[in-house]
Amino acid sequence: MSMLATEEKLSVTGDRSTPETRIEDGGRRLGLMLTLPAQLLVLFIAVFPLLMQLYISLTDWSPLDGIGWWQAYELWNNFANYTDLAADSRFWDALGRTALVMAICVPAEFLLGLGLAILFMDNFVGKRLFYSVMLIPMMVVPAVAGYMFFMLFQSGGPVNDIVSTLIGRPFALAWLSSPGTALIAVMIADIWQWTPLMFLILLAGLVGVPEDQMRAATLLGASWSQRFRTIVMPKMKTIIIIALSIRVIENFKIFDTLYIMTGGGPGVATETISVYIYKVTQQDLIWGYVAAIALVILIALSILVSLAISRMNAAKEA
Amino acid sequence: MNRSLTFEIFRYTAILLALAVTLIPTLWMASMAFKPIAEWSAAGADLTWWPKSPTLDNFRFIFGTSTSDLIVALDRTAGKPILASLLSAVFGTLIAMTAGTAGAYGLSRFGSGQNLPLALIQLRLFPPMAVMIPVMIMWAFFGLVDTWWGLALIYGIVTLPFAFWLMKTFFDDMPREIEDAALVEGCSRLRVFMKITLPMMRPALASSALFVFILNWSDYLIALLLTTREWVTIPVYMASLSSSMTGQLYGAKAALGLIAAVPPVIMGIAIQKHLVRGLTFGALKQ
Repeated sequence: MSMLATEEKLSVTGDRSTPETRIEDGGRRLGLMLTLPAQLLVLFIAVFPLLMQLYISLTDWSPLDGIGWWQAYELWNNFANYTDLAADSRFWDALGRTALVMAICVPAEFLLGLGLAILFMDNFVGKRLFYSVMLIPMMVVPAVAGYMFFMLFQSGGPVNDIVSTLIGRPFALAWLSSPGTALIAVMIADIWQWTPLMFLILLAGLVGVPEDQMRAATLLGASWSQRFRTIVMPKMKTIIIIALSIRVIENFKIFDTLYIMTGGGPGVATETISVYIYKVTQQDLIWGYVAAIALVILIALSILVSLAISRMNAAKEA
Repeated sequence: MNRSLTFEIFRYTAILLALAVTLIPTLWMASMAFKPIAEWSAAGADLTWWPKSPTLDNFRFIFGTSTSDLIVALDRTAGKPILASLLSAVFGTLIAMTAGTAGAYGLSRFGSGQNLPLALIQLRLFPPMAVMIPVMIMWAFFGLVDTWWGLALIYGIVTLPFAFWLMKTFFDDMPREIEDAALVEGCSRLRVFMKITLPMMRPALASSALFVFILNWSDYLIALLLTTREWVTIPVYMASLSSSMTGQLYGAKAALGLIAAVPPVIMGIAIQKHLVRGLTFGALKQ
């Protein structure tokens, strides 16, 4: 009798309070379980490797030394890697070259992409097909794109053939083996491959501009450029920032196409920061030094990004 | 907007020009893939835009069934690299999608793992070259160098940010009424996720998986660092296709390049509706 009563009491209290709390607890537990794999992968690739990188960067360790990386302290070099780096002109040149490529490619991709996107804003015959074709370059495997442009820029290749036809006399420039033109060829390949990305993102933004506002402005006699400046651009601001950030970040990493086309050469003429690090990793094998370079870049990028994010947040609040 | 005739003429001229520039590199490679060796490079000023005597020799050559006019025979055919690319990209996609989907659902519904969005964006931000030293050491330690499963693991991690962010935006968009109804019916949270949410999200899962697959399939640098011989992927193998006897094996490389380029292009066009979402980490939707 008394047992029954307690049971009943329990179930009653249970019924009254659990629907909220039990689901919340269950949900939280399930949430933790579901996010665990992602958390573990992030830990596995971020925290431990970064500590390892920091440790190795303070030594002269190389995989050829015959000692495990954990014994690298035997080769402690009193921050020599960092002082070397400050005086490493090849590193600074590569960094400057990366910045140059970025300063030319990203604006070019942006302007070409924006121009194309404006042409695609309203309907016309063939739009869907043209749109799909336009997207092809960014889907091509970058290494394969590198090989395409490697072929195109051979001295007996199609680029020179087209130029010859246009200027009406034989033109045979060895694009990839002269320092000045190799960098241009590499940038053309990058612009070819990534203008579609700008086009795609900017077009998505442009189509989102409210049509009734545009029509009202047209009725009020606003010219095309006025409408563009006063209605389209303000709506597009965030989208433009996103598109530019993506390309700046990705362009900084430039490696695949470039490395297939020129291998960073001739000499160091097209050596960007990723190519430089790759070469030191594979050819010179001084991994302590590579770790130092990599860490400096990671820290610099992190600072830049947190600055950018705080600026953007400030702009949003203002 | 402006429907004047001059504008239409300008528009079509500009678009056709852009189309030509877009297509020429790809078409040149496709044409090269079907050219016999005699037409590979220009003799004098005679450049062959279309193969005069089209042949499948380049394809036979890379699969080792023909050496035809080529002096060299390959010591390794393209079969294994294609398998390596497929296995690493497929299983990498599986890893990224599993961890990404589960994590995204955990965050979207239960607010777990608040640190993940930013941590994953940072992961994507850094140049792979700047984090590869520890990865190479760890992979060597675990015996993962030059294996397709080692590549699959790093691919899964590298593309996890995309899988996570894409699925998060899809889960955020999904109405919760159906899930709530099932909960009231007495289903457990896990069961709701497995039996109701996931089947409903099938189209979203498919396009996210294709997007992630394209990214994995496109890798060159990581495979270059983490594979040496047995499990080199298509781009790494392709770069090794040149010999001291014939120089660049233009046609053979073009044939392989075509094989590598076609799947992602088809997949990309198939999921073009979601490309903007994927490329902008879900910040923009079409």
